[in-house]
Amino acid sequence: MTTRRRRSHVGRAAWVAALLLPALATPDANSFPLFGDQTILPSGTELNQDGISLPREQSRTEAVEGIRSYLVKLGDIAFNSPAILGGMARQAGISCNSCHINGTSNPKFFIPGLSTHSGTLDTTGPLFNPRADNGSLDPVRIPSLRGARYLAPYGIDGRFSSLRDFVRNVIVGEFSGPEPSPVILDAIVAYLQDIDFLNNRRLGPAGRLLTTDEAELRGQALFNKPFPHDPSLSCATCHLPSGAFVDHCQHDVGSGGLFKTPTLLNGNFNRPYFHDGRFDTYEQVVAHFNRVFSLSLSAQDQHDLVAYLNAVGDGERPYIINRIGVQLQEISDFVSVLDTAIQAHDVDIISLTVNTVDDELRELIEQFPDHRDPAVTGGQAERRRARSALKDLVLKLSRIELAASVGDFDEAAAELHSYRYETSIGVAAALRAAEPWSLFNPKIHDAHYNAMRQMLQTMSKH
Amino acid sequence: MNSAFVCTFGPLTFLCVVLASAVPYSTNAAPFDEATERYRLFMIADLDRALDGVRALRDRVKANDIPRAKQAWIDARIGWERSEVFTSGFIPELDDAIDSWPDAATGFHGLEVKLFGANSGDFGDETDMLILHLTDADERVRSMQLTPQGLLNGVTRLAYEIGDSKVDGGESRLSGTSLDDMRNNADGIELAYRTLFASPLEASDPKLAEQVRSDIDQLKALLKVQNLRGIDPYKLQKASEALVVALQAAGPKLGLETPSLEGTAK
Repeated sequence: MTTRRRRSHVGRAAWVAALLLPALATPDANSFPLFGDQTILPSGTELNQDGISLPREQSRTEAVEGIRSYLVKLGDIAFNSPAILGGMARQAGISCNSCHINGTSNPKFFIPGLSTHSGTLDTTGPLFNPRADNGSLDPVRIPSLRGARYLAPYGIDGRFSSLRDFVRNVIVGEFSGPEPSPVILDAIVAYLQDIDFLNNRRLGPAGRLLTTDEAELRGQALFNKPFPHDPSLSCATCHLPSGAFVDHCQHDVGSGGLFKTPTLLNGNFNRPYFHDGRFDTYEQVVAHFNRVFSLSLSAQDQHDLVAYLNAVGDGERPYIINRIGVQLQEISDFVSVLDTAIQAHDVDIISLTVNTVDDELRELIEQFPDHRDPAVTGGQAERRRARSALKDLVLKLSRIELAASVGDFDEAAAELHSYRYETSIGVAAALRAAEPWSLFNPKIHDAHYNAMRQMLQTMSKH
Repeated sequence: MNSAFVCTFGPLTFLCVVLASAVPYSTNAAPFDEATERYRLFMIADLDRALDGVRALRDRVKANDIPRAKQAWIDARIGWERSEVFTSGFIPELDDAIDSWPDAATGFHGLEVKLFGANSGDFGDETDMLILHLTDADERVRSMQLTPQGLLNGVTRLAYEIGDSKVDGGESRLSGTSLDDMRNNADGIELAYRTLFASPLEASDPKLAEQVRSDIDQLKALLKVQNLRGIDPYKLQKASEALVVALQAAGPKLGLETPSLEGTAK
């Protein structure tokens, strides 16, 4: 299992905007003033980076108590690396994980000018790859990648039969990155294929409900019932319960074109719905189908179908609390790639790994506010030690990369050994000692961001 | 050995030349003591500049001249950012009061929120408080013992911070001067390094001294861009880390400890 939030180079700008947005009611309305130099992404951008809870990534390998392979870990690293993308994404610190947090979706993601609803992005807009700009604001929903290996074809309109081709297009076509090496493509595909659906105990074999809830069972019957005006169709015709609730085809369901059938599994956590994210609730989705396909559903029928969708779309432990131990485990997982890469004298992989872990560590450092942050009092010595320990790790990684860059792989290996020694003897203890005064503590987290809101209110009063 | 010390960084060039001529550097007689006293004069000049800027800001707000008050704020920041080598390690409690960040209700950024964010000069006593704290800092820098270890820590810490989070819109995003902050930090690093450590390191490890010089040049070169968007964050981060690694290696060569990134000078 991995878990993370992404630090991005738009970071503070984004969260300042994010804090402002609730007060202004609509994501588009952003009057946060900028003078002179501006942020890399448009003001008002929301990357959803500061939550205490995170979507849980279910690793297929770890679910059977296996160990994630080198290739899966490398894919996870690349998935989190802005460096494999190009142009503005790289500059702003956007990675695959920015949109697909822990391999899922990002329902709060919003970039003014590229999003019409939260959780959508125009991948043919002018910002990330001007050469692919189609001159039209046509954002698509950011889908969850859980269970991707079952969900071909890929892309909202299903234009790619291969996951590998789809990944390559995202990197090069949508985010103007350099042509990825074959091993990086293999690795990302391996990582995505390792992300499973969350288990759903309410579903049995062939996607049948295991429930005794009457509304859900009535909803199941309606789901399988032929449409009145076309008995060859039912909801289940396209959302095949025995096949991950997809039929691997594209259909026109009255939303403006042909789009592939999305899975309903874990759908409760994949808002918004439809290809362009136009709907926020199952109620809206059911009402749409009722209208477009003249289903003549009663209010009770619609309620029952929603109950059914909620049962099918459920999943165990969808979110986890972001904690120090989980973060350190993930960093350790990433660093383990260096063992193989240093032995293979693979400078590119060493550099990619170091840069990604560097970002992870710097993000972790920000969880321990420095002495200048007036919202956090107490624990100053502990916070200082925690920050110092993490910065030392950043520098050890830097030394690994520097040594490898001049071909001194023995020195790189020695630095890696030193990194691990330092991690094992003191870093975790230093972080745990400082945890009560860190942003991992919900009270400190709230105090920190409430102070930010206070600052913005000060601005708005004048 | 006498050295004609010449600074190459902008507004302080003249002052550097004058000071260097007046107090020739000697590696034989307590080099750090002499260099530290020379560096103290720079710190005094920088803090004086910050103080003058905030006083001017107060006067212009009283005259309801907001555009010129903004310029005074920007002028004050130049001196302050250059002195960060000293401030965070030697006077951390004043650093907190003067430069609280990010959620600032007081200090420079508290004023920035109102002045640039709200276009208002409605400060209450915040300007007076900032003047009080800067005056305190200015007085303390004149008499405080400046240890070379503390100053090397400060240089190293600032080098790390440049590569850290300031390219993300910046510390001073409302005033649009974050890039200036970074450049002034880099100037502060160069000033401190050249005044305090360049000659002794050259004597003990010329190759490492060349490396530090080259890393500082690289850092400054990466900041020669039109705006924050022109910065390559990864190159800046790598350049910053390379400089920190070199400065950490320099510590023992200078007869000092490996510089810490978080410790205070106390």
